[in-house]
Amino acid sequence: MLPLETRNLARRLLVDEAAADKTSQSTESAVFRVYEKLHRSLCQLAGVAGFRSLASRALTLAKAEAPGLGAMQVNSDGFLHGTREFEPQIDKYHDEEAELILIAQLLGLLITFIGETLTLRLVQDTWPSAGLEDCRSGDRRKA
Amino acid sequence: MSTQDKVKIRKLPTGVPGLDEIVGGGLPEFSFNIIAGAPGSGKTTLAHQFVFANASPEHPALYFTVLGESSIKMLRYQQQYTFFDPAKLPSCIRFINLSEVVLEKDLGSVLAEITREVEKANPSVVVVDSFRTMVRKPQDTPNVMDLQSFIQQLALFLASWQATTFLIGEYAEDELRDNPIFTVADGLFWLRQSVERNSIVRKLQIVKLRGQASVPGLHTFRITDAGLQAFSRTFGLTRHKRLSTGRRRLSFGIPELDAMLGGGIPEGDSVLIAGASGTGKSVLATQFIAEGTRQGEAGIVAVFEERPDAYAERADSLGLDLKTPQAEGKLVILYLRPLDLSVDETMHSILDAVQKIGAKRLVIDSLAGFEMALSPGFRADFRESLYRMIFALTGIGVTILSTVEVDESFTEFPFSTYSISFLTDDIIRLRYVSVEGQLRKIMVVIKTRGGNHSKDIREYKITSEGVLILGESLKDYQHLITGIPERISRLVQKEERPPKSRPKSKG
Repeated sequence: MLPLETRNLARRLLVDEAAADKTSQSTESAVFRVYEKLHRSLCQLAGVAGFRSLASRALTLAKAEAPGLGAMQVNSDGFLHGTREFEPQIDKYHDEEAELILIAQLLGLLITFIGETLTLRLVQDTWPSAGLEDCRSGDRRKA
Repeated sequence: MSTQDKVKIRKLPTGVPGLDEIVGGGLPEFSFNIIAGAPGSGKTTLAHQFVFANASPEHPALYFTVLGESSIKMLRYQQQYTFFDPAKLPSCIRFINLSEVVLEKDLGSVLAEITREVEKANPSVVVVDSFRTMVRKPQDTPNVMDLQSFIQQLALFLASWQATTFLIGEYAEDELRDNPIFTVADGLFWLRQSVERNSIVRKLQIVKLRGQASVPGLHTFRITDAGLQAFSRTFGLTRHKRLSTGRRRLSFGIPELDAMLGGGIPEGDSVLIAGASGTGKSVLATQFIAEGTRQGEAGIVAVFEERPDAYAERADSLGLDLKTPQAEGKLVILYLRPLDLSVDETMHSILDAVQKIGAKRLVIDSLAGFEMALSPGFRADFRESLYRMIFALTGIGVTILSTVEVDESFTEFPFSTYSISFLTDDIIRLRYVSVEGQLRKIMVVIKTRGGNHSKDIREYKITSEGVLILGESLKDYQHLITGIPERISRLVQKEERPPKSRPKSKG
């Protein structure tokens, strides 16, 4: 089970993108935009193959929690089937909790491998306006 | 060309303790360097230390990973080192993975990708880790760029973009010779590691470094949780001027011994006290250091066979107070049982302590213990390293007293089983002698640097107040140094005694 802090971080990113959706009139869902940004950032760091491995593992873990993600797959470029090709399907079910779990699992894996500090710094670099300074689990415990 | 007409090359800190001294003050800015060595030799860690020491928002670094270690795993492990500052990621240090370009395209595409990223980020530091893996990919397309051209063009481009560059490559020892790739580099750092019995011996060599003088030879290094630490063969003392210590003499606190030495030990000398077990070598050494602290001279005692508290307790029993100067920071007793440390590392510990408290006297008790504390693989370097340390320390005015145990022989009079007497300016020899049915002790000054020393052989004993020299010289004995002397008066009597007259035969 993912820590609350990781889920909250994922939620913050989805909310941030959802807010951006409204202002930009984007037709893409928030989860698609969050995943795409992580894809771009992490492919630069770890390469496509490195990102694809992480994403596949995250999807497998997420499916165990959210069976609604059952049809989704990570393709060879690291993109998610169901966000790009099957966008209508996602919209149809609009399982917000499943989306949250998928992003949280991806972030959780990153935290497992490179730690919370580095993960947050990478995420902050990708979402500079999201105001994630208080997202550290330690900060929350202190509060 | 005068000095002021020459271009001034800024030297960047390497981030590796000890390495700046080895490379001649720092790494030349805008240089193109190769770090070569076998897997696990510390190449990536060395590059990371340099990057973290130099990257800033104004001078960012780009770290290109190619094939081999994944960036995620690399970050996972590298962040364990204390030099790793996560606050520098990704604003000051950006990691870029090029594995897809390498796998799917050719070296020309890799160069284009690096060029694109460098022009975008304008970095001051660039690392390509590892460039060697790129050449292992089969190049089946004709006219593709070969590795040498790739490196040549990369070096040219990065120098123009004012970036200091490290290329990391896995190379075996025999690949160093005649490799055209290395000719392009301004600096070539070679990291070696070998297994000697149960110890890992790590050494680095600056094979080349353009524009400045580096310290030649193989330097020991160690990888700890702080990353690499290098130990210069010159112990970092090459920049110090040798001190002219004048004629000052240091006292043992034993007036008779000082007199035998011609007034004490000349400052900045290396003194050897040699003797069998129990002859009082350590007692003399303790008196020497205690007298120094009594006179306000800071001192270091490096012990290998007993712990510092036991050493101080034993001094206490001789009426010598080592605890007070210890508490005041004027005396450090170093207990060195490194086992798998190199001799250079051990000597650096001593040097650090000497420099930290400004020690004027250093006791090494004993050389045999020192050698035994080293890993077997490093013992071969012992004499050479000891020579370098003694030369370096005496050069800055530190007086060194070493003890050495010698096997007691009744046919020989060896000064040291280590053949290290050439390292010493002064030698004091202690030994047992059999006199009048007793095992007594004698002391003699074999040599002093000035040459003005007593030739007397003096009897001494160890009391509750330390070494006590008895009476005048043992003029009444000869063959003292054999350990089985004879009283001269008896010899004379023997000579004077008329031969026994044989009974005359009858008849």
